[in-house]
Amino acid sequence: MSKVLMKGNEALGEAAIRAGCVHFFGYPITPQTEIPEYLCKRLPEVGGVFLQAESEVAAIHMVYGAAGAGVKCMTSSSSPGISLMAEGMSYLAACELPCVVINMMRAGPGLGGILPAQSDYFQATRGHGHGDYQCIVLAPASVQEAVDLMTLAFDLAEKYRNPVMVCADGMIGQMMEPVEFRSEGRGPPMAGNDWALTGCEGRPRRIVNSLHLAPEQNFAYNVRLKEKYDRAAREEVRFELYGDGRPDVLVVAFGTMARISKSAIDDLRREGRRVALFRPITLNPWPYAQCRAAMDAMPEGAKVLDVEMSMGQMIYDVKLAAEGTRTIEFLGKAGGLVPSPDEVAARIRALLP
Amino acid sequence: MTAETLPLLKDDRLVMVVGNYGSGKTEVSVNLAIRAAASGRRVRIADLDLVNPYFRCREARRLMEAHGISVVVPPGAQAWADLPIVVPEVLHMLSPPAGTLSLFDVGGDDVGARVLGSLRGGAIATGYELWQVINPQRPFTRDADGCLAMREAIERSSRLVVTGLVVNAHLMEETTADTVLSGLAVAREVARRGGLGIRFVAVMESLADEPPIRAIGEPVLVMKRHMLPPWLLPAGEERLPAGRPVPLGRRNGSHGTYRD
Repeated sequence: MSKVLMKGNEALGEAAIRAGCVHFFGYPITPQTEIPEYLCKRLPEVGGVFLQAESEVAAIHMVYGAAGAGVKCMTSSSSPGISLMAEGMSYLAACELPCVVINMMRAGPGLGGILPAQSDYFQATRGHGHGDYQCIVLAPASVQEAVDLMTLAFDLAEKYRNPVMVCADGMIGQMMEPVEFRSEGRGPPMAGNDWALTGCEGRPRRIVNSLHLAPEQNFAYNVRLKEKYDRAAREEVRFELYGDGRPDVLVVAFGTMARISKSAIDDLRREGRRVALFRPITLNPWPYAQCRAAMDAMPEGAKVLDVEMSMGQMIYDVKLAAEGTRTIEFLGKAGGLVPSPDEVAARIRALLP
Repeated sequence: MTAETLPLLKDDRLVMVVGNYGSGKTEVSVNLAIRAAASGRRVRIADLDLVNPYFRCREARRLMEAHGISVVVPPGAQAWADLPIVVPEVLHMLSPPAGTLSLFDVGGDDVGARVLGSLRGGAIATGYELWQVINPQRPFTRDADGCLAMREAIERSSRLVVTGLVVNAHLMEETTADTVLSGLAVAREVARRGGLGIRFVAVMESLADEPPIRAIGEPVLVMKRHMLPPWLLPAGEERLPAGRPVPLGRRNGSHGTYRD
């Protein structure tokens, strides 16, 4: 199929439909409103349901209901709206219901501003709602990758029976890029399963429930969830390593910040500098071992630079990967400001031997 | 054929640029403003995009001001508010003094064009041009039917009439001469069926000298790319939010050129 010029948000909407998503529930918020706007035109064309909920709280619980009925469904929002969804996310994870949630991050905290940011990293990767649950979190760095990751998001949600978050910053939602939809037409509906509430006539009753009052039973339930997250950590880690194999500075960045860092790295490599980028694509599970391997390949004393559109959140995962073997430097901006390729390059230069 | 032959630079006074999301209205508007200013016109441009949060012409404010263009946007931090603000200067722009060009960069689709409804009286009194930017690489305007449906929606919502077409067929960095030519073919059908003239074809400078482009047979606006994501901005400049382009005079003045 030929390429088409799309805004990131629209492309995510189309990608969801092609992945087989048939229900969308959401509420508008900048900078992601084009996702519901696009889907409200397109979903009826494919026999799907688009519903603008009365709030994000309602939207995520509509997702809970639809997912419980075995429907491929999703919601999308931006930072403050995702905060409102925290309770529902915990219930979805607790009841092991597959769904996809897009967070097109904007500057926070509070109402913040409408410009891009990556400051919901903790929220995405460290629970968000209450309880011992985790989301699988995917972080695209381009519109094309966002499209490709949507298919993966629905597949992983179903495979792990768990919410999957596509976590991008407003820049990816708002920018235009040529994209190609590699899967033609609609993906498969959710596979036959033994848990969805589809009407119990002729079969035993099924129950979707997260209330486990007996502590032993609840503990066993938590253990089972943890085993699932551990399996995802073994099987689903995705990352990109870009640049020199034995760099003097290794930049760690994700999403838009990784793309900006690549511009800086390309400039420096043209000058003959040895630099590289480690880009986690799955923010959870985080590619600890792979990042550590990239660090171990560096000369002794070589530095690691974590760059984020936040005040420093992913840096804790980079430090976990290093386990004290490397000094981790930080460059970050928040509030809607974005470190430029020049700023990144200048900081790398200062760290080069 | 060069942009200096554009009718715009002779006697158009009030030009409003509309079109679907992502057709390239802002890139066209910024380039038009700079070109008109370079030809000696006094230019005021209003950022009337009330529906898009990023990549609006306010991001190119400093660049345009460096060309002597007056840029009308909400003051201070309000420029980054998620609010449909129309500042009073926009009303003054509806009756520009002799020799001044008033240019309105309007938001996308019929939703974005709705703001023009409130400016309708003044626009009609002055006499206006309402140009629809067409890019058939976009999903809802891939053919003449889509472009004509967009025109109808914009006219209904703005209560004004489209007076001309601007062909801006592109796929960002992946644009080729074929992209432009196939887009022009769609635009010609739109023009024929809609009874409209093609005002000009917008082409990035990297393609402008290719023989098929030179043979287009329509006025051409040769453009530089000013609305850039942060990783494509030229080196050597402090950057501002959402890829605001840089002022003139740095690094060979090569603002708007492609990086890579």
